[in-house]
Amino acid sequence: MSDSSRKVARRPGFGIGLLKGLAVTFKHLFKHNTVIQYPDVKQELPPRTRGVIALKEENCTVCNLCARECPDWCIYIDSHKETLPPKHEGGRARKRNTLDRFAIDYSLCMYCGICVEVCPYDALFWSPEFEFSEYSITELTHEKEKLSDWMATVLPPPELDTGAAMPDEERVLAAAAARSGDPAAAPEQPTAAPEQPTAAPEQPTAAPAASTSRGAALAASGQDPDAVYERVLAEETAKGSSDRVATARAKAARMRAIKGTAAPGITPPPSAQTSGEEATPPPSASPATPAATAPKPSSAAPEQPVTPVRAREGFPVPPDPGSLVANVRIPAPGPNPPLQVTEDAQAVYDKVLAEQLRRGASPGVAEARARVARLKAEQGIGRGPVAYDEQPPLELSVPATTSEPERQPAPESQPPPEAPARNPEPSTPARAEMPATPAPLAPAPALGPVEGEDPDAAYERVLAQEIAKGSSERVATARAKAARMRAIKGTRGPGG
Amino acid sequence: MDLVINPWLLLLVKVIVILSVLPLAALVGGYAEHKVMAHLQHRLGPMYPGGWHGWATTLADAVKFLLKEDLVPDAADKRVFGLAPAVIMVPIVMIYLVIPVDRNLVVENLDIGLFYLLAISSVSSIGVLMAGLSSGNKYSLIGGLRSAAQLIAYELPIVLAAASVAMLAGTLSLVGIVDKQHWMFALWPPGIGLVAFLIFTLSAVAEMSRPPFDMPVAESEIIAGPFTEYSGMRYIFSHMFPEMGHLVAFAAIATTLFLGGYQPVVPWAPLAVVPGFVWFLAKTAVMVFVFLWVRPTFPRLREDQLQAFAWKVLIPAGLGLILATGAWVVYVGGA
Repeated sequence: MSDSSRKVARRPGFGIGLLKGLAVTFKHLFKHNTVIQYPDVKQELPPRTRGVIALKEENCTVCNLCARECPDWCIYIDSHKETLPPKHEGGRARKRNTLDRFAIDYSLCMYCGICVEVCPYDALFWSPEFEFSEYSITELTHEKEKLSDWMATVLPPPELDTGAAMPDEERVLAAAAARSGDPAAAPEQPTAAPEQPTAAPEQPTAAPAASTSRGAALAASGQDPDAVYERVLAEETAKGSSDRVATARAKAARMRAIKGTAAPGITPPPSAQTSGEEATPPPSASPATPAATAPKPSSAAPEQPVTPVRAREGFPVPPDPGSLVANVRIPAPGPNPPLQVTEDAQAVYDKVLAEQLRRGASPGVAEARARVARLKAEQGIGRGPVAYDEQPPLELSVPATTSEPERQPAPESQPPPEAPARNPEPSTPARAEMPATPAPLAPAPALGPVEGEDPDAAYERVLAQEIAKGSSERVATARAKAARMRAIKGTRGPGG
Repeated sequence: MDLVINPWLLLLVKVIVILSVLPLAALVGGYAEHKVMAHLQHRLGPMYPGGWHGWATTLADAVKFLLKEDLVPDAADKRVFGLAPAVIMVPIVMIYLVIPVDRNLVVENLDIGLFYLLAISSVSSIGVLMAGLSSGNKYSLIGGLRSAAQLIAYELPIVLAAASVAMLAGTLSLVGIVDKQHWMFALWPPGIGLVAFLIFTLSAVAEMSRPPFDMPVAESEIIAGPFTEYSGMRYIFSHMFPEMGHLVAFAAIATTLFLGGYQPVVPWAPLAVVPGFVWFLAKTAVMVFVFLWVRPTFPRLREDQLQAFAWKVLIPAGLGLILATGAWVVYVGGA
């Protein structure tokens, strides 16, 4: 005790330091502990948590940057080209990439976030959800449907630090609001635009649409965006739309009023058309002109009040500033219908919203968390692990791909029909030592019992063999399990 | 206690009581250790077993250990290996024989209670040494030898401190010693009692091989020392039960010798209403807490620091204490 080996000069304290140490720990006895009882109490993770990566499918242009930058090569993208007929008589046919498959193998992903950083069109987001473990490693590959489902759990970005530069989207919005806020300035604005070509890149899509828009007319007539909001909200409520839909459409209408863009599927009044036409700047530098007008068939109108442009229907355009913000704040509802409603989702929403506001969360965060809670309540997510027996049988079928991805090492002998290699580069050397067997990812039972044996059949066969050989029960089970896994993955066993 | 009962029945009751003290101490003490250490470190400790704050944790632990496979290493000296847990356990059980929980609530009120106590409490170290030597494991051997060295080094200060108490009280009977204390430390002349208490407590921590004096079982150096090769039930009997049994026993001994045992904290008449065993148990609990409190506070010492502290500080201090006590008894007058 008095023989401390420290080189620090010490004064003889007669154990006072020891008593001080005891006092420190004793004080901590009465401090509130910091433990969060995790499975019972879940921490509210901040918006930038690296939990799982969500895909906003309509923003993806199949540029493949994410897949190429991924250090683990765990992103699989398949696409094909479609030719769109010319929009106008004598126009040129356009080609466009269409996403067929977007999958992330979370058994390989190391959560570095490079794909999210590198995506030029904000198609990938971090979601704080992290509880997506599976009983089978093959189910950790999330296809685009599942990745899109995660989109609903993405939280809005954190507030900016004080004094930080305003992001581009906000700046453009503010500028647009400032312009349309002044009714007298609104008609002059388009005429001013051709003289300032530098202003065009700021709003490449909004500017051409502004000409034919009811919103522009409204703005020109001095319609207050908030009045538009109230009116649309009242209309939608009268139509019997759900609260959420009504709010979303009202918000979209307000946004259109601010920016002066047209509502989808609304034919502008002729008077507005003529007056807008001559005032429209021909945006010569903007390549998005056909694209911006393309997604405005009337069919697109009712479902998507917020993001009128969807990749499936038109060439994916660089989203206009308004929907960039909307991308984050109002994620589209997941394509999957609610599995089963076991709890009043709206009650959950209200409860979480009130709870969050009471605890001082910002309105955006509070709303997002409430939305996530409602979604979970609707889909029955997050109710603890599902027992293994209740899991659906292992489904390994991969959506059919129309084009073979380039960087997949295709086996020479017989390429598996629809089985992109799950283990791209890292595991190929190990596999090269084995007999050159095609590695069917999903050996259908129809392929025959020799190569593509049914995993469960393989399990039973090996178990019986091992028991016949006199192996202990544990060893037999383990070997049978290994055989099943090999059958699933299509690899050969040791020795054979 | 003027109960007229069959002496054999009385014996049976005594045996049952004594045998149940150690498991009880291990279960309650183990739970207390989990919880106290956790809260000292801003944690919660076990929360699930049993429902309420994990109260059944140690019970579940015990069941788990009882169900485990009993392994004996090939290289072990099997008879000694099997005997060692008993040699460790039995003396600790026997410590509780002479501790007076209340004036009349003592299993055996021996006239040489203090002598018996000091003698029996050091026997279990022989069991630890047996375990270390017989395991056929170098870490066990190192741990066993460390344990023996620690026993020799720290038994002396304990004996000196206890002898000082006996000199002042003029008796070796534990009930007699407690009766001489009117309240905490009242028996002791200024300074002597406090120094004796400090020497006793520090040595007790070392005697129990608890941190910061737990080199015999230092897990970062020698795994679990003498108990490395023990598993299942034998591990309970060689390590878990003795650890907690020792802890509670030394807390009870310190209560008896220095804190006035079953007497009230201060000689104030209204306090006498509270029964003696409540005082005893409360003081023992405080002492247990002190032992538990020390563990997460201080880092483990080195083996040479441990020995140097005993031989250079505690034993000279104990000898000086004996001198001072003798002078006090002769010139001022003891009890």
